[in-house]
Amino acid sequence: MGQLQRGGSGPDNKPLRREEPLLRAPGPHSAPCRETSAPPGQHPPKGQMGEEGARKCVPPGTGSRSRRGGSGTMAAGFKTVEPLEYYRRFLKENCRPDGRELGEFRTTTVNIGSITTADGSALVKLGNTTVICGIKAEFAEPPAESSNKGYIVPNVDLSPLCSSRFRPGPPGEEAQAASQFIADVIENSEIIMKEDLCIANGKLAWVLYCDLICLDYDGNILDACTFALLAALKNVQLPTVTINEETGLAEVNLKQTNPLNIRKHPVATSFAVFDDTILIVDPTAEEEDLATGTVTIVMDEEGRLCSVNKPGGSGLTAAKLQDCITRAVTRHKEVKQLIDKVIKSVK
Amino acid sequence: MPLDPRRVPGPEESQPPLLYAAPGQAAAADEAEAEAGALRPLLARAGLLSQAEGSAYVELAGGTKVLCAVRGPREAAEGRGRLLCDFRRAPFCARGARPRPGPAAAARERELGLALQEALAPAVRLARYPRARLELTALLLQDGGAGLAAALCAAALALADAGVEMFDLVVGCGLCRAPGPAAAWRLQPSAAQERAAAARLTVALLPGLGQVAGLLGSGQGGPPESWAQAVRLGVEGCQRLYPLLRRSLLRAAERRAGLPRGLPPPERDPPDRPPPPEGPARPPPPDRP
Repeated sequence: MGQLQRGGSGPDNKPLRREEPLLRAPGPHSAPCRETSAPPGQHPPKGQMGEEGARKCVPPGTGSRSRRGGSGTMAAGFKTVEPLEYYRRFLKENCRPDGRELGEFRTTTVNIGSITTADGSALVKLGNTTVICGIKAEFAEPPAESSNKGYIVPNVDLSPLCSSRFRPGPPGEEAQAASQFIADVIENSEIIMKEDLCIANGKLAWVLYCDLICLDYDGNILDACTFALLAALKNVQLPTVTINEETGLAEVNLKQTNPLNIRKHPVATSFAVFDDTILIVDPTAEEEDLATGTVTIVMDEEGRLCSVNKPGGSGLTAAKLQDCITRAVTRHKEVKQLIDKVIKSVK
Repeated sequence: MPLDPRRVPGPEESQPPLLYAAPGQAAAADEAEAEAGALRPLLARAGLLSQAEGSAYVELAGGTKVLCAVRGPREAAEGRGRLLCDFRRAPFCARGARPRPGPAAAARERELGLALQEALAPAVRLARYPRARLELTALLLQDGGAGLAAALCAAALALADAGVEMFDLVVGCGLCRAPGPAAAWRLQPSAAQERAAAARLTVALLPGLGQVAGLLGSGQGGPPESWAQAVRLGVEGCQRLYPLLRRSLLRAAERRAGLPRGLPPPERDPPDRPPPPEGPARPPPPDRP
């Protein structure tokens, strides 16, 4: 029952002893992924949520008490009373309270194939934000208007498990918006051609139900969901299906499985806009609450823009948008490298 | 089935490929899951989620994975403290068809949520939280058998991790009995064994106090002595799992305090195995504080 094997237990049929569980820090098969926009001479700050002011950026309000754990109650009190002002002081120094640069992502780890009952699964951690994607494949009749296509049905689940801002029950606004965003990304980027999912024209096609469950909500849910979806789709193994000529029924061979044909690899990069001018990448939940706007850019590997999602909020100049796109291109390379490494280590 | 306007639309009906598999293949897939009836190793970790006051993750060797988060105490209207439990199954947790998220699935899970709440209520000192509510959400990521038992362990660990005052940890153990007159009860069955079982039972125990907190069973178990024997077996299984849960709680507390792991050296390669069953004589449980 390794983290990364699909079906069955480890090679010697014993449960593998893990020092950390499924959800915790990376094992040998997942790698942190970080890119800093700082000049090469500077010491790269660590990506984890650290103590305020313990890294290279010192909050102006607390003077020289920048030791780990020594930020004291003054900064904490200021943060509660005037959170926006607190953030502005960091942004003036071009950094953020958790020690990251403005253009730096949190540590990204990915873990695939852990849910053996699903046809494909992936767990992505972006700092504290954790999303798990499970894909189940079923049979259905193709839709009436396009009889040679299958279905891909994403569903993002934001529940009280991940954060207290969500209520139990049917999906709320944010979950619906996220599900629709993922559906649009699938459609626009052509990550899978729906024609590939068709088995028999007009009679039988695959339906891929992609369930993305957020386990821990600390901002930037769209990036994590897109990444989890991509990793899970790469992990899917579909059994071979043949249509019996005489009976007209499908015959499934569970022993012979084929992976999906993933044509494009879309990667999302989210930004938060502060005070209509400053853009920060990969916002945490606190930063999202204080931001005046958000932008999400989805790129694929040929440097083509798949989708730009900007739900209201403060306006952006064309130059700023261009900066976002450039950063998104770099992020795509990092993510692609990480996914390739993980997939290769599984084989 | 009416389409839910709140979700991305899919086909009206869909069937799992397992229905169309050659009969030999489906059975072979089932057998691959079946394990021996002895108590299998358990992995338990507390304090994983950043946004919840308390959280725990429990994994059984058959593949059952449960994640539990506790929020609270939050302010409630009035009256004594309340514990609200929500048990959810991920749509990809079972090997067969995917249950559509919606009102039908919610009704199925309500019974399990209630069972969870009834088993945890005796352990939590609700009298210490007047006019407050504790919200507990358990998510079953993968069902490899004994899902409710794993959820009970995870829920108790999450409550303890949140610092909620409790009399004791609740430990859950699942049993099932294959059809047939002479079949024996087996502990912590695999998913295939549970599906084929004639009777299932989940026992929740407060091991330090030696009190059964909850019992949920159904099916054709045979004579009442068989059920009594099953409960005894379940109680024994829970007693053996108790030290593992306590150890995981201690480790989580150490991690939080940032202390180095100076406690007894961690186990090397063998996973957490419960200690072998003790002899028949057991010391009397300590008095209730």
